[in-house]
Amino acid sequence: MSALLEVNGLATHFTTRDGVVKAVDGVSFRLDAGKTLAVVGESGSGKSVTALSIMRLVAKPRGNIVAGEVLFKGDDLLKMDDARVRDLRGDRIAMIFQDPMTSLNPVFRVGRQIGESLMLHKGMSRKEAFERAIELLDMVGIPNPRDRARDYPHQFSGGMRQRAMIAMALACDPDILIADEPTTALDVTIQAQILELMMEMQARTGAAIIMITHDLGVVADLADDVMVMYAGKQVEYGPSDAIFYDPFHPYTWGLLDSLPRHDVDEKGVLHPITGQPPSLINVPPGCAFHPRCPFAQEVCETDVPPALAVTDAHVSACHFSTDPEFRRGVAVACAVPEGVESA
Amino acid sequence: MLRYAVRRILQMIPVFIGVTIILFVLRAPGVLPGDPVRMITGERAIPESLREQIIEKHALDQPLHMQYVIYVRNLLQGDLGESYQRGRPVVDIFAEKFPNTLRLAVAAIIVEIVLGLTAGIVSAIRQYSFLDVLLTLSTSVLVSVPVFWLGMLFQIFFGIRLKEWTNDAFYLPISQMSSAQFPDWVHLILPAITLASVSTAYVARIMRSQMLEAMGQDYIRTAEAKGLKRRTVVYRHALKNAMIPVVTFVGIDFGVMMSGAILTETVFSWPGVGREIFLAVGQRDWPIVMGGVIIIVVIIMIINLIVDLSYALLDPRIRYGGGAE
Repeated sequence: MSALLEVNGLATHFTTRDGVVKAVDGVSFRLDAGKTLAVVGESGSGKSVTALSIMRLVAKPRGNIVAGEVLFKGDDLLKMDDARVRDLRGDRIAMIFQDPMTSLNPVFRVGRQIGESLMLHKGMSRKEAFERAIELLDMVGIPNPRDRARDYPHQFSGGMRQRAMIAMALACDPDILIADEPTTALDVTIQAQILELMMEMQARTGAAIIMITHDLGVVADLADDVMVMYAGKQVEYGPSDAIFYDPFHPYTWGLLDSLPRHDVDEKGVLHPITGQPPSLINVPPGCAFHPRCPFAQEVCETDVPPALAVTDAHVSACHFSTDPEFRRGVAVACAVPEGVESA
Repeated sequence: MLRYAVRRILQMIPVFIGVTIILFVLRAPGVLPGDPVRMITGERAIPESLREQIIEKHALDQPLHMQYVIYVRNLLQGDLGESYQRGRPVVDIFAEKFPNTLRLAVAAIIVEIVLGLTAGIVSAIRQYSFLDVLLTLSTSVLVSVPVFWLGMLFQIFFGIRLKEWTNDAFYLPISQMSSAQFPDWVHLILPAITLASVSTAYVARIMRSQMLEAMGQDYIRTAEAKGLKRRTVVYRHALKNAMIPVVTFVGIDFGVMMSGAILTETVFSWPGVGREIFLAVGQRDWPIVMGGVIIIVVIIMIINLIVDLSYALLDPRIRYGGGAE
């Protein structure tokens, strides 16, 4: 079966005064209709640029997609002419951005902004689009949608604006919804509502979702697959269960280990990954994670690890991915956190 | 909105009183040299009876504060007094000159809007291109050129040199009185371009920077993610946001131009309000100077109010008069 979206070896580089920033460097995944893929990683790991590359919205001339293919229903988005990509954008592939405060245009009414893509892609008149925008606002849980559609963004609260953004993205009933940290800028209580709304909308419209987040807690319940990124590279990719309960890559272990836990009786003790993410201009040779990896060997400093298949659907970019002995060692080390005795 | 407008109009009253008092104090004996009667009559010797007549007519025998009261009372009835030199009511003089100033201002503001906005938008869209560098460079030069000097350069080049080079076949009139062989609007070309020059450069610069700022905003990315054409994104989403500060500048500038472009009008002998005030200052014709300044103040205040109110139309985040939620 051909995937709805298949990304192979995607690489996006930015030219800066200091050198070439390899923001995305070899990312591959597939997304089937109606499924949810979570893209997880620290700030600057290339999650957002991956999303923008799929939409072909990377800011030129500094940003360039230098390699790879993005197959949407079998057609390579990277080879299409601009007009065809624009036809897909907002219609078949829609995007929700991180900060709803700045992502809506302050000088246009909310209803008009939602209706804009309907007029563009569905050929609706301004009036029809506005009526449909009211229905969409109602659908995403905005009270008094008829009045609210006439409001300007500054009259909406943060949560309402993100609801409006979701309504805007779903307007044309897209096949894929890319959400770039949709809850980061919101209150914790609102975050849960927005995630719930997105899941509800997915159930209703059957859209596939790419959920970009730095918050592993967010993705545990709702993702089918998880891709972990580090320094522009894909480090581990597989079914959600495998990533959460049977991770392989030491970085994934580190991420999971750094989550605050309620079931372990050691209040106030966090286990951060030591060190800083590398500069994307001077990515360490070999495995980019090796300077921070507690299990690094000599080979990690010299050779770039290939993506090794742990199981059919589960790949990990670590030299020791297929070494059960190594794996047990990592699991043991992480299960008994170092701080326990001293705390 | 209405309450805001009323409040702003009420605020004009103290400004107005302040301006008239300052003008009056400047006129007081001993502050500036010159005997008003002498200014009216010139250097000729006059009989004492005529002198008294003049003093009485212009209420010059009254103490200064009484003169002020009389002046303001007349002013409120639409009477700005009578010119010392011309023996005509000041109101009539300005009523005659104002249409000329208005014509020049409208022509200049059109030049400013068309050229300034175009240059700014082109610069922003093609940032760092040759055209952008060229425009940025020329606007930098233009903002620092004195208007009267630019006007004179235009006169020399388009009025005199061009005429010589083309054997009188083609040139532009360099003053209102120069000749009658041109259609009326041709006389406007050089003064309008001169008057608009500095402001056009400013508009281009403001437009460019505002446009670039708007183009970098998140909502532009949202608009692109909808699949809109770049043209639509630029001219619908970015432009409306970028226009807000530009409208302010152009609006206020129009007010300044309408109140008389003293330098431009003088260089081109344009019979407008500004030139009239310039001549009156030279002749110490106080009623004209005072009347002119008062008219300028009123025009500027009204234009400022209109500009501020038009904000609310462009930027929905601004609501005057406590309409916030």
